[in-house]
Amino acid sequence: MALRPEMTAPVARIVTTRMPSAPEPIRLFYVCNVFRYSQSYVERGREFRQAGVELVGCNTPEADGEVLALLISSLKKIGLKEVRVDVGHAGLLKDLLKATGLDEEKKGILQGLLGYRDEARLKKFMDQNIFPPKLREAFLQLSSCRRLDEVSSVSPVSSKYGKTEDHLRNLSEVRDVLADYGIENLVFFNFSLTRKIEYYTGIVFEASVPNLGLPLGGGGRYDDFIEKFGKLKIPATGFALEIEKCLQALDAQGFQPQKGEKIGILVTSRFRNAAIKAVNALRNAGVVALLDVKKSDEKKVIKYAKLAGIDYVIFVDSSLEKPATVYDAKSDVSRNVKIKTFLQSIGG
Amino acid sequence: MKRKIRVAIPSKGRLRQPSIQALQRADINILEEERAYVSKTSDPRFEAIFARAFDVPLYVQYGAVDLGITGHDLILEREADVHELLDLGFGKCRLVVAVPENSTIRSINDISEVARVATEYPNLSRKYFEGLGKQVEILRVRGTSELAPKLGLAQIIVDVSSTGETLLKNNLKVIATILDSTCRLACNKIAFRTSESEINEFLSRLRRGGLE
Repeated sequence: MALRPEMTAPVARIVTTRMPSAPEPIRLFYVCNVFRYSQSYVERGREFRQAGVELVGCNTPEADGEVLALLISSLKKIGLKEVRVDVGHAGLLKDLLKATGLDEEKKGILQGLLGYRDEARLKKFMDQNIFPPKLREAFLQLSSCRRLDEVSSVSPVSSKYGKTEDHLRNLSEVRDVLADYGIENLVFFNFSLTRKIEYYTGIVFEASVPNLGLPLGGGGRYDDFIEKFGKLKIPATGFALEIEKCLQALDAQGFQPQKGEKIGILVTSRFRNAAIKAVNALRNAGVVALLDVKKSDEKKVIKYAKLAGIDYVIFVDSSLEKPATVYDAKSDVSRNVKIKTFLQSIGG
Repeated sequence: MKRKIRVAIPSKGRLRQPSIQALQRADINILEEERAYVSKTSDPRFEAIFARAFDVPLYVQYGAVDLGITGHDLILEREADVHELLDLGFGKCRLVVAVPENSTIRSINDISEVARVATEYPNLSRKYFEGLGKQVEILRVRGTSELAPKLGLAQIIVDVSSTGETLLKNNLKVIATILDSTCRLACNKIAFRTSESEINEFLSRLRRGGLE
């Protein structure tokens, strides 16, 4: 038994067990609660919500680009400004770290140094640990790259170092896809980015905005993960956004949600048939209409409307064609008008 | 839209003055040192926040401040996921295991599995003793852990020591060192991306000012 800490594993399980014949690529989304336990001093929220997508069954740069573009447009759509995405490559970092032959502790130190972008300390560390010149150069160049297009000018690294050259090519290809989406200026390269999740194999990324010190979410490519649930190797990529963090970010940017400006109308009549018709007509016109189910008298209806914040009360006659009495709660005035004309007057 | 870069500084204790001086050497003078938790500085792009050194790692990790000056020991104790951009050199200390002078415990190997350890550093202590395969009982205290052995609360303490004077005064002897620490400039990971140029400028000014 376990509480799910994230949604990619459940999605991988569903894809292999419940969707064996679904045509690939499969595009899935979720909005779910997930759970994490932390022993840190701060009581971190142990349950939080994630909204995410997975693009399953495709390993092209176009698939990576689509997921990155969707991430950025999602954040913009909810009203966030100055969104940026930092991209790294799990395979590239893994292969180059492996090529160093360092033990786990030193690898950790090296990863920290790459994160600080401190060239002097990085050089000193590499000198102390006797890096071969080509590997040294690769680390120096990659840790100084800020943009994906700078990565393409990194001098070719020896083929001894795993699939390093494939990974570098992959980054350039993704960069070209992003350019076609017109979002390459929002995407930055960060060689040290790892996301602390083991299963990533390709590009990994994190989204953030200024003035919120934690990432809003992120994701990446995981081509060897789904096969752990089934027998088939199925490449995939996806992202998850943390909904509470996005709300905090909106708050930090002073985002004001648009007030629901829908007009509320209470419909009452001695003729139930006409009242129901009127309610339906009003609802079809996009206003919030309520039927006076209590069948109270005029005074009580108006009193209720005022208390409940209802804008208008319409007293409908036996037919919608006949003029109705419209009471305006704001101005406390009634007038006789056909429902159609009234709807036009409020822009319905 | 962009707010000022916030720098957290230890509000009291041995780290406060050297932190303020390090900023001064970087030509960032704190203008309202005496009164405020939040103070303007001589550079309008930066503001200083006075906070407990122990809390600074958290402030930085969660982005309440962009930068913070605090001890390496505290960053580790808080398990704060931050960038340690610079070793400021001052605030040298060691996190040590100490017992009363007259204790039968002469080394770490003498510590029984049921020993009680009083400390302000429960996380680092637990990890250290777990690493030795000892499931000691950790008692978290605030300040003055030196008192614990005197009162019989614990046989062992884990605390920081810079000169060893306090330990000596309380008839305590060091039997092991858990780690060496100095003061660091910690940086929020997202701020390091979104305010990179300001933070790098701040860094090079600190470096130019000459570290201790």
